[in-house]
Amino acid sequence: MIPALVACLGLAGAQQTGLDLDDRIVNPLTADPGKIVVLVFLRRDCPVSSRYAPVIQQISKQFSGRATFWLVYPDKSDSPQAIRKYLQDYGYHLPALRDPDHELVKLGRAQITPEVAVFDRAHQLIYDGRIDDWYVELSRARSAPTTHELSDAVGAALAGKTVATSEVRGVGCYISDLE
Amino acid sequence: MILLAGAGAVGMLAGRPARPSLRFSASAATPAEQVTFNRDIAPIIFQSCTACHRPGEAAPFSLLNYADVKKHARQIVDVTQSRAMPPWLPEPQKLKFADELRLADAEINLIQRWVEQGEIEGDPADLRAQPRWVAGWQLGKPDLVLTANKPLSLPPSGTDTYWNFIFPVPIPETRWVRAIEIRPGDKRYVHHANILVDREASSRQREAEPGAGFGGMEIRIESQVFDPDSHLLFWKPGTVPYVEPEGMALRLDKGTDLILNTHLQPSGKPEVIQPSIGLYFTPHPATRLPMLLQLENDVKLDIPPGQKDFVVTDDFTLPIDVELLAIYPHAHYLGKDIQAFATLPDGAKETLIHIPQWNLNWQAVYRYAEPVRLPSGTKLSLRYLYDNSDENPLNPNHPPARVRGGNRSSDEMCHLWLQVLPVNFDSAQGDPRMALQEALARHNVEKNPGDFEAHYNLAAMLQARDKLDAAIKEYELAVRLRPDDATGNNALGAAFVAAEHSSQAVGYLQTALKTRPDYFDARYNLGLALAGQSDFRGAAEQFRLALQLQPQDANVEANLGAALAQLGQLPEAKSHLERALEIDPKQPIAKENLGALQKEMNSH
Repeated sequence: MIPALVACLGLAGAQQTGLDLDDRIVNPLTADPGKIVVLVFLRRDCPVSSRYAPVIQQISKQFSGRATFWLVYPDKSDSPQAIRKYLQDYGYHLPALRDPDHELVKLGRAQITPEVAVFDRAHQLIYDGRIDDWYVELSRARSAPTTHELSDAVGAALAGKTVATSEVRGVGCYISDLE
Repeated sequence: MILLAGAGAVGMLAGRPARPSLRFSASAATPAEQVTFNRDIAPIIFQSCTACHRPGEAAPFSLLNYADVKKHARQIVDVTQSRAMPPWLPEPQKLKFADELRLADAEINLIQRWVEQGEIEGDPADLRAQPRWVAGWQLGKPDLVLTANKPLSLPPSGTDTYWNFIFPVPIPETRWVRAIEIRPGDKRYVHHANILVDREASSRQREAEPGAGFGGMEIRIESQVFDPDSHLLFWKPGTVPYVEPEGMALRLDKGTDLILNTHLQPSGKPEVIQPSIGLYFTPHPATRLPMLLQLENDVKLDIPPGQKDFVVTDDFTLPIDVELLAIYPHAHYLGKDIQAFATLPDGAKETLIHIPQWNLNWQAVYRYAEPVRLPSGTKLSLRYLYDNSDENPLNPNHPPARVRGGNRSSDEMCHLWLQVLPVNFDSAQGDPRMALQEALARHNVEKNPGDFEAHYNLAAMLQARDKLDAAIKEYELAVRLRPDDATGNNALGAAFVAAEHSSQAVGYLQTALKTRPDYFDARYNLGLALAGQSDFRGAAEQFRLALQLQPQDANVEANLGAALAQLGQLPEAKSHLERALEIDPKQPIAKENLGALQKEMNSH
């Protein structure tokens, strides 16, 4: 446990940036000061990630102006052009970042797509994991989710409260399968 | 899915693959034990995954080469170990299925070891060629391609959609079909599709406008004559188009519609679904006639909220020898453990199918590798277990609610279709499927004694088998359940006419016409009943009214002519008999009566 925490602190000090679709380096935590920041990790080839598009759009709209949502694509073979097309196909109106070296993945402790990382105004990670419990396993989804971890975490951060759950792993596709 | 225990800290470490489920010790690996993609993994993937995991097919990504597989390696370990992939629901059993898509334990272990050892590609010389994948129609160019008139727009989110596309079949005469290939549109969003044969175009009335299709998960096709469904025409991702065995072609008549019943799942973005169907004809008419036999017990489905293990059973004893060719279980989201078995006359019990973890999304038709001989006296049984608790994540109600049998996806179902081929029968005794259908109808009446349709269908079957007295008894029971039902009263009246008890027919036919004055069949039958009582004036009046409903009916013209002849109105009788022969030159009553009438008129 202790060496891992040391590594964690070391990393937090190092890199926290991704590349926008014009290949500019962006630090999503500092780009929009004073806001709650949500990183949403997606794989274009992951059907679970894709099915969540309307849900992600809807939740980001719900917290519009109070929390900044970033879509993060950790597959280094994803070109900006391919991501632009994906955003258009799925009706996304959210900024997207490429994360070819998985810096944001490490920062947000993401393991699966789709998962989210929620940072409070002080840039502290307060929740990482699934959006909700819609999917039970890859081929089994509920007709509707019964928990709402992402909304709850953003709501807690806005209210300055501690989140009830700081981590629940998602159902979907492994980020570690990507080099 | 969650392999990482205490993942919070471990996940922070950059680049270290965290795989705590490792059992294989790297130090023990010698080159001989090293698993490589090219030698060991590619054959498994190509055999069991690539049919769907390639461009244009149902799977969300391709698995065509080392890079593709490596990009999903851990996921493949997970889904093969949980047996979510390849999708194959039945447990292994003695009676083997064709095209079984189940990985051996050794194959699953091999994939795991490959990932543990670092996903080594291996010697290119070890890589064997992939099967030759065919793009487009799998059986080559179809003889006839039907494309849905109007595409369906699938919204990006929401619940699953069940949609029916109607395909009129433009054939000028009866054709025999040896294979049907279903191309359901974009295969990634279609979970499964079924074709139903609508021989009387009865589904068109359900469309808001012609060609639009209609919604609904479960549909029923009405039929006027004994023409039992005989083929399971089914598509799911990975389905290889099925070519019917010699002599078992599907008959398609002029005017037949094919109904494609689809289950669609939103993808996150708007999709447009426009299915097509390819028909492959054969010049050889069917010589062997299978039949679909349904076990069900929906009436028993009344599942209290919270109940985890609600069991429904149905047993049916075969009245004839059959070969079982295929099986198709069906339940909705509460279905959990699905079993069917056969108890042979000697008491031996054979599992026909056992699905311990039902998943509607992966429902399928399962064909047996070899036909299963089931002698007369074999008891067929289904036993379905339903979980209506909150522990069932697929429960459509949260919190759980009372769920009953029904056609909506939030209702439940308990159905099992068996495709059987009668064997060892004496063809002089008529179509052996009739005995089967009668036994099924009787069984249905036993299960649903208060159900109008159960009695009505048994009566119709008995009448088709010339068991008129028994048919009348069943129609009477049906009419007792729905005293004003036009169809039931007409059928009972018609059966009395056929049994030459015209006096008993009249009242029922009048009731039918009271409910539905424009009911042509009842009008015509009432004419016959009155004629049977020598009330030719009354009969002629009914036939005239029937003609107003259907002016082109040769039978009515002929009977009207005969009634008028009985009344002595010879010239008028003659003109109606002639009109009958204009419509149908072979009309036998008209021919016979016209001959007699000419003699009569000549003799005066």
